[in-house]
Amino acid sequence: MTIHLAEATTAVPERHSLARWNLDLQNGRSPTRYGFSIVCVAVALGVALASQYCGVHDVELPLFELAIVVITWYAGVGPSMLAVVLSAICYSYFFSEPLYSFEISNEDLPSFFLFTASAAITAWFVAVRRRIESDLRIARDHLQVEVAERERREDEIRKLNQELTKRARDLETSNNELESFAYSVSHDLRAPLRHVVGYSELLQRQASSSLDEKSRRFMQTILESSKRMGNLIDDLLAFSRIGRAETKKALVSLDQLVKEGVAETGQDTTGRDIVWKIHPLPVCYGDRSMLKLVMGNLLANAVKFTRVRAQAEIEIGCVDGEDEIEVFVRDNGAGFDMQYVDKLFGVFQRLHLPEEFEGTGIGLATVRRIIHRHGGEVRAQGGVDQGATLYFSLPKAQDAAERTANTL
Amino acid sequence: MSELARILLVEDDPRDVELSMTALREYNLANEVVVARDGEKALDYLYCRGEFSARPNDNPAVMLLDLKLPKVNGLEVLQQIRSDERLKLIPVVVLTSSHEEKDMIRSYSLGVNAYVVKPVDFHEFVNAIKELGVFWAVINEPPPGSVKKAP
Repeated sequence: MTIHLAEATTAVPERHSLARWNLDLQNGRSPTRYGFSIVCVAVALGVALASQYCGVHDVELPLFELAIVVITWYAGVGPSMLAVVLSAICYSYFFSEPLYSFEISNEDLPSFFLFTASAAITAWFVAVRRRIESDLRIARDHLQVEVAERERREDEIRKLNQELTKRARDLETSNNELESFAYSVSHDLRAPLRHVVGYSELLQRQASSSLDEKSRRFMQTILESSKRMGNLIDDLLAFSRIGRAETKKALVSLDQLVKEGVAETGQDTTGRDIVWKIHPLPVCYGDRSMLKLVMGNLLANAVKFTRVRAQAEIEIGCVDGEDEIEVFVRDNGAGFDMQYVDKLFGVFQRLHLPEEFEGTGIGLATVRRIIHRHGGEVRAQGGVDQGATLYFSLPKAQDAAERTANTL
Repeated sequence: MSELARILLVEDDPRDVELSMTALREYNLANEVVVARDGEKALDYLYCRGEFSARPNDNPAVMLLDLKLPKVNGLEVLQQIRSDERLKLIPVVVLTSSHEEKDMIRSYSLGVNAYVVKPVDFHEFVNAIKELGVFWAVINEPPPGSVKKAP
């Protein structure tokens, strides 16, 4: 900043060399300035005496006035006052009756005072003008510096904007590439997988009587692994689809979503003792099918991880914030170690062994992706064997439209 | 292979063909199938040209169509037959790996009769193929001009 200022100051062109010179003189040492004053008055006196000698009379006063103006202009107020005094003395000595004495006759007294007063006023006016002018010059320099600075900043903003546009374009391209990559990988992976499963089944059918126990177990493992891979591919596809899908936003009743979500867990809850505590939930603004997926995932998780309890307790409620609502799903299930809470929402991240709890580890990643697309946040709290609480926040319905407009 | 088939299976992958045929064989439908390994062959069969120029000019009762095919892809085949006066009534079932919404929308807007995603699980796959074969080749009454059910 300071560097730019200095540059800008030196960049101001020196247009008026005469004005520059008088500035130099005014800023010069006092002897030079007062000496200049004396020289000017002496020159004016010389010219006046010479004119008088040649027979031209009454030019002394204008000449002295001129000298005073020049002195004020170039040397400042102090020297000009000196010049006024000197001119008055010279006038009284050389030009007013009686000549060659410092006495002033009564007749000349008014014109002498008139001269002194007018000289003083002239000096004062010129000094004021000088000051205004120099203020103006400083203001102009300042403005020039500011304009230069502004231009520089505008340039910078323009450059940053261009960079941003380019980045956005790059990001879009790589995003599209990534999406089409995920799409084709998932599809092309599925065909060979289907063949592995199909031919293993055929082989099992064909040779199951001649296979021993161990070989049968190998076959079974091949089939199970293939099935698991199939699930992974399906989940990955669904996950990438969420990133691409357009959100269709409307008012969504969270109460209704919870009701549907609970109904859909029916298959996994048969024969189990589950206490549902469902608090009233507000209406929010979002994509219904996506939010349903969020609710479904969280409820299914709660049901799954409370399997180890004789009586499962699942509580769903919400905390009303200032400009957002935070919904939570709390369970008394297996919980997790808070040390690994960062991994909880990662793609294919699992905090339990597959023998304990099934799943691919995509559910909470999906939840996070959807909530982020709605302009909200997710977090989790829990402890090993102490249950888990999963929170997600959503912008409130009334200001959601403008808040999410930027994130979609 | 019979030149007079009720099912036209358009599938490029020989393993998928074998698995599908295995499924159809269980319902004795294998003899009713003609396999075309790419979109061009499928159109050759439907237009009775090339290696199929000698076959009787009847339409199959159903066409099982994969989308990802060499040369002419499934959607192009579909577009072609739907714009042809003689072929446009053939029931077409898309049989694909693609879950993608855009593929479904494209297929349905081109007038497909059913869209089936090939299940990874073998039993489900076999079941799907069997049910498709039985429904379209046996239960469903095909449009006039198709190969009739064998007496």
